Amino acid sequence: MKHLVRQIGRYKIPLNWTLFILAISTLPLTYAGPREQAKRMHDRLTGIPPSIQVLDEMENLIAEGKVSEAADIAMQNPAFYSVTLKNWITPWTNEEADVFAPLNDYTATIIGMVRDDIDFRQILSGDILYVANSNAGIPPYSMTSNAHYQALEEQSADLQDILQRTTQSEETGLPAQATAGVMTTRAAAKSFFKDGTNRAMFRFTLINHLCTDLEGLKDTSRSPDRIRQDVSRSPGGDSRIFNNSCVGCHAGMDPLAQAFAYYNYEYNVESDPQGEQGALQYNNQGQVDPDTGSQVQAKYHINGNNFPYGFFTNNDDWSNYWRQGLNKNLGWDTALPGNGSGAKSMGQELANSQQFANCQVTKVFRNVCLRSPQDAADRSKITTITNTFTNTGYNIKQVFADAADYCKGE
Amino acid sequence: MVYITSLCTSKRHQPITSFWILVIILLLSACGGSSVEVTKTPAPAPQDNTPVTYSGPVAATPDVTQFKLELWDNISSPQRCGACHVQDNQSPEFARNDDINLAYNAASQLVNFSTPEDSTLVTKVAAGHNCWLSSDAACGEILATWIGNWGATENTANDIQLEAPIAKDPGANKNFPDNSLLFEDNVYPLLQTYCANCHTGSATIPISPYFASSDIDESYAVSKARISLDTPENSRFVERIRDEFHNCWSDCASNANDLINGIQDMADAIELTELDEQLINSKALTLFDGTLASGGGRFENNVIAKWEFKTGSGTTAFDTSGVEPAIDLTLNGDASWIGGWGIQLSNGKAQGSTTNSKKLHNLITATGEFSIEAWVVPANVSQEGPARIISYSGGANTRNFTLGQTLYNYDFLLRTDKTNVNGQPALSTADAAEVLQASLQHVVVNYDSVNGRQIFVNGRFTGDTDPTEVGNFADWNDTYAFVLGNEVSGDIPWAGSIRMVAIHNRTLSAEQVAQNFDVGIGQKFFLLFEVSEITETPQSYIVIEVSQFDSYSYLFSEPFFYTLDDSISIPDIPLQGMRIGINGREANVGQVFQNINTLLTQSDYVPAKGQLLSSLGTIIPIEKGATSDEFFLTFEVLAEQTNVMVEADPPAPAATIDLAAQAEIGIRNFAEINASMSAVTRVPMDNSSVKASFEQLKQQLPSFTNMDSFLASNQMAVTQLAIKYCDQLVETTNLRDSYFSDFNFNQSAETAFTAQGRNAVLLPLTSNILNSDLSDQPNNTDVINELDNLVTRLTDCSGDKVCDATYTKTVVKAVCAAALGSAVITLQ
Repeated sequence: MKHLVRQIGRYKIPLNWTLFILAISTLPLTYAGPREQAKRMHDRLTGIPPSIQVLDEMENLIAEGKVSEAADIAMQNPAFYSVTLKNWITPWTNEEADVFAPLNDYTATIIGMVRDDIDFRQILSGDILYVANSNAGIPPYSMTSNAHYQALEEQSADLQDILQRTTQSEETGLPAQATAGVMTTRAAAKSFFKDGTNRAMFRFTLINHLCTDLEGLKDTSRSPDRIRQDVSRSPGGDSRIFNNSCVGCHAGMDPLAQAFAYYNYEYNVESDPQGEQGALQYNNQGQVDPDTGSQVQAKYHINGNNFPYGFFTNNDDWSNYWRQGLNKNLGWDTALPGNGSGAKSMGQELANSQQFANCQVTKVFRNVCLRSPQDAADRSKITTITNTFTNTGYNIKQVFADAADYCKGE
Repeated sequence: MVYITSLCTSKRHQPITSFWILVIILLLSACGGSSVEVTKTPAPAPQDNTPVTYSGPVAATPDVTQFKLELWDNISSPQRCGACHVQDNQSPEFARNDDINLAYNAASQLVNFSTPEDSTLVTKVAAGHNCWLSSDAACGEILATWIGNWGATENTANDIQLEAPIAKDPGANKNFPDNSLLFEDNVYPLLQTYCANCHTGSATIPISPYFASSDIDESYAVSKARISLDTPENSRFVERIRDEFHNCWSDCASNANDLINGIQDMADAIELTELDEQLINSKALTLFDGTLASGGGRFENNVIAKWEFKTGSGTTAFDTSGVEPAIDLTLNGDASWIGGWGIQLSNGKAQGSTTNSKKLHNLITATGEFSIEAWVVPANVSQEGPARIISYSGGANTRNFTLGQTLYNYDFLLRTDKTNVNGQPALSTADAAEVLQASLQHVVVNYDSVNGRQIFVNGRFTGDTDPTEVGNFADWNDTYAFVLGNEVSGDIPWAGSIRMVAIHNRTLSAEQVAQNFDVGIGQKFFLLFEVSEITETPQSYIVIEVSQFDSYSYLFSEPFFYTLDDSISIPDIPLQGMRIGINGREANVGQVFQNINTLLTQSDYVPAKGQLLSSLGTIIPIEKGATSDEFFLTFEVLAEQTNVMVEADPPAPAATIDLAAQAEIGIRNFAEINASMSAVTRVPMDNSSVKASFEQLKQQLPSFTNMDSFLASNQMAVTQLAIKYCDQLVETTNLRDSYFSDFNFNQSAETAFTAQGRNAVLLPLTSNILNSDLSDQPNNTDVINELDNLVTRLTDCSGDKVCDATYTKTVVKAVCAAALGSAVITLQ
């Protein structure tokens, strides 16, 4: 290799750039016919160029007006799962939004759900998990290790082919009613239930699946009656900060995040400070936490004397205070009660909001069109695709197809 | 009269001559009459307090002994009450020094043991009568402490007798009009001009609330909570700019004034209106109309110094422990008083004199144990040093003891014969526990010869055990000074607020720590909100404990229903949706009781305690000040009356603003490039050589698909990966034979690249990499020509260049890499 580089080094970069400029200068000036549209759809959906045979096939379908079928052909390529979906989902599985994070059960489960056309709302409430089939010859799924998925990644395994559906309750022993889609996967627990107060799980679910951080939802007019005792009412001795900032998020977040009161990520802080061998731990019915005397995890009572008159958590009942006030605009499902017990029903509350559907469509749009919705035409298309999404069983593959159709060029 | 009193006092200062003796004898006889009216001494008396040696009859009872020890010894000196209130002088003669039993009889008429602060002795002095300090209140505090000590060997919580306030209705106020015209004309222009980059739903990073929205209704709806029509200068919009310097558009003070003027103009156009008739409201009262909940219940039997910071002004924080000599602290530097009792320090200190500080040395070394107790509010969790919160020290490296802060930890440094002169090694709370928080905390540090050092935070032992062997205080230095908020040298400041500090010369037990924590801090009142007319139950009230939480808020906690008429039976009374009103309107934050839904019943009513409605508490912002703010309660349902609030729908989000046009094409990201190269070369991604290169290069490859973020370093990584793929394609026999099936790799470079040979290399490459007949990609022929030129340049074998079969492979790899590393792959 060194020999090669030494010999041709002086030509290498100039030639690359020549071809680069050649390509760019050609693109905007040309009319995108069915063949060019097919190429772009394939590029965007799978990340890789099509074979000539596939390109011909897609071109013909597009010429016949069967754009969706053309997209389906592209999405049959394994790269749609192993490249596009994997990189779309991976940043949601960690606080840093790191796209280089290893494959894990959160990512694999959503990939499998997309493949099997499962109602996408289930990602926040289903008793569902995808593992490699038994022929993979890799370490089995484990509560205390990600080795199973890392081995798949090492092998550059075809995720479209190798993943098979199972349930969390079967694989992890978590009670079925305590499962809540990807929120109760090991990867999510490791990222968002580790240490802290479990509010991270709520916040990052908002960011990743409702496309808004808490800053966008601040509403100081909600009652603070569910804000926990650990939140200082006078940070640094200045209660104005609480009344004007903290309360805006905590008043709505704390009663929703109470749904996670029985969950924790257990690990050995001394021997395994990163929690690589840790596991999701759930206080089952009848299981009493020694620190709280109830099913509630100790983390829900830490720093309780910061404000003893704050809310004391003694169960996992949640309420959605954001159904009223500014955040009513998120479009909550009026058929649901707006309160309940546990993460599963809270996940349903989030996933049945208009904001959830809109967010998923917007994320797909960005991924396929390589840009944000920018004008009225784009926004109108987002609305149309969202309506299709919500009216046809929340099939996310259809969203990819619709977005690829919209951005295939003219 | 003034003359007489002055003389009574002035005899402390003047040389006594025979002439003056005569005059004084004549005049002293006048001092003794009960009809003599005593007036305030013009100037505070000096602080020295020479003790009186008592040599009269012995105390008749143990209580008289207690009186002498706790009160008489402290007040009988000629510098205090002993100047006048002695035998044959000013009545009452509670400080007489001829017979302690007679003094006891006189004093007994002037004290109230259940509420020492209400004693005649205390109220008289606190009102200005011959206080020996510069603060009348401080003298009152100290006297109350002495009386409390006389009256009880152990402090116990006192039963509070709730008293009915004078009933009055909530006052009138200005309310927001329904339409937004006034807002639009006066305030909105400023908001839209200067805040719209963030506070709109269509901002790049939208920051709620969207008061700068392009939709005036959306803006008006969320702005109401941030505008104070009654006191425009207290509007949140103004505070954010003026006090917190939040994105001022020029000068913060003048920007704030612009906002004040706008809000004032808006307010001026709005008439005062009475409280909404629809509201079901209680009677109204101010904080000081409430019943004072005295601070009884604290365990202070062994307190030797105490600062409660009640003075609220000046530069002296008084030691009100009643134990002489008082270590009064002088505030200097960046130190100020805060509302609700306390001082705030950022780069200042409150320091006592070395002479008076010696009290700590004397009284603590005598017992060999002590306890420091404090209510503190660290300003942040980033200061270290340890930053000195409480210290008895001689400089940065010498101390008897220090309570400090390092990030999330409290540190306790103590000099014993087992530690060094700097009190090290320190006992610190565990890093992982993060017990120190930037909020109001009760901290106690104990030291005794059994347990060593112990730290309690918010009533609980932190569990940190002292690793250092216990020792004694033989090495303590009595020339050090006691200081708060800094080192005595002034170079290791602590930022935060201190609400109370007490030093005990015995340790506090865990129960006593918890007891003192439970009592809390600050002046508390029970506010009795009368609801008799609504409930039709005589003298019925919703009672809430209210205190000033800090300089900016009141704390309302644990409301209960109560009737002052013990004789009545309480009917079933439904109560729902209780809200706190302040100055004629419901507070727009902190409505923690609005979801209450309960039934007041006789069976749940506990005599003398009432019926608890909620164990929660909340903070309500101070508006006009503790003396002026008027509170009331409103209810959605109370007894027969109903006013259920139905919240209006929020305004629809404003229309999204168009973004600048973005590119319709982008770059492939790292994984797409890798997969694409694999797809067009047919070299599998798990080829070990390729995989190793990809792992090494993936973070240098593009992470994002945005064209704008593409860098030369990305292209370098693309090129390196392309070379690796082409290398494996050419070096792996079966891949090579399949891909370049018509090319002979065994020939030298001079002979291999005939026209046919070139086609055998270039056609597979271009057809696989470029796809065919795509009008938006470079023309195949153009690319082939470019690559052909490259082959020509590379196969110029003139000179001493070695053009063997190995070099043939090299040329193929080079041509392959040039095509593979191009925009054909990187663009999508």
